[in-house]
Amino acid sequence: MATLEELQARITRLDDIKQVEKLQRIYGYYLDCESVEVADFGVYRGKAGVKKFYLDLLGSKPPRVGELSIGMIMQGVVDIDPDGKTAKGRWYCMSIEAKPTISLHEGELRQLWGNGIYENEYVKENGKWLFKKVFYFLNFRTPYEDGWLKVPPPDAPPTNYAPYPSGIHLQPHYKHPITGK
Amino acid sequence: MNLEELEKRVTLMEDIQEIENLQRIYAYYFDLQRWEDIVDLFSDNAESVEIVDHGLFLGKEGVKKMYWDWIGKGIRSANQPWIQFIITQIGGVVDISPDGKTAWGRWQTWLCEAKPFGAFPKQEWLHGYYENKYVKENGKWLFSKLHWNNTFCSPFEDGWLKTPLMGLMNYHPTVKPDAPPTAFHPYPSGYHLPYHYRHPITGA
Repeated sequence: MATLEELQARITRLDDIKQVEKLQRIYGYYLDCESVEVADFGVYRGKAGVKKFYLDLLGSKPPRVGELSIGMIMQGVVDIDPDGKTAKGRWYCMSIEAKPTISLHEGELRQLWGNGIYENEYVKENGKWLFKKVFYFLNFRTPYEDGWLKVPPPDAPPTNYAPYPSGIHLQPHYKHPITGK
Repeated sequence: MNLEELEKRVTLMEDIQEIENLQRIYAYYFDLQRWEDIVDLFSDNAESVEIVDHGLFLGKEGVKKMYWDWIGKGIRSANQPWIQFIITQIGGVVDISPDGKTAWGRWQTWLCEAKPFGAFPKQEWLHGYYENKYVKENGKWLFSKLHWNNTFCSPFEDGWLKTPLMGLMNYHPTVKPDAPPTAFHPYPSGYHLPYHYRHPITGA
């Protein structure tokens, strides 16, 4: 039979899983009013980076009628690390969105399906679980009308794709008309 | 409550948590086309696996036939461009048997797939229900029976009202099931996969 101490450790682990699941789902419900996609935005480091991403980048636009960003957070597999202080979780997010055609700018609203996977890390501080790292891997974000398989497979990968602000410019095929260089 | 009763209740909660994880991990492996890892989630004494209209496959041998030979096309782990499986696991209802050695789980699934139909890749919406059975062996939960019944498999462009079923999948030139499917009645048949549980209030 288990000792009281062993049972306490086992209950704490179960509690921890439920707390992390709740945290992740609450995050999803906050997204509904705070449009977020992480995969294509780059890495933001530290708590200052978190503020920069959610407040300055995503939260700085005035609300717009019709804009929608539902993130259904599903299928969590949460693992509490042996010391009970940190945890990892994998989740699916299925999103239903209405966003301007040009991200972060004005433009016609388009309806979108989105799907991606979270591999997140959590930390327990003063008895409460918090996010330590949010990583969102985007599977697709696609127009409602077209779906994820609209574009037929190309014959070869892009030969040169490095948009602004990469600093890489497509060079002209012609020589300088005066100097000939 | 004495320590023994308390341990029983903790074990029950742990069992439910482990089975929920097992079911979700299965789906993530499926999406990654890691067929060997999926087969290893089944008990060596597995009863059966049945997926849509492929038919009923018996025993661990049947499990291998289903995932390796048929779905995996003979490859135990694949990474094919343009193929997409996203089989989300939603709404699990898990019941552990009183002896704590077996369990049942009902789940629903919402799928965003892309796979070849004949020569052409097609994108599809699918929905379905699982009624699965699990067994605890050496302290670990494994699948002993998996049954996925398909509600619809519809082209993205058409939807389920226009095209409830994109085509049958019940033919393979060499891999043969042990029996025909026990249930395959897609939308709009009105069929519901039987529930493993009784109504929690009325007991019906």
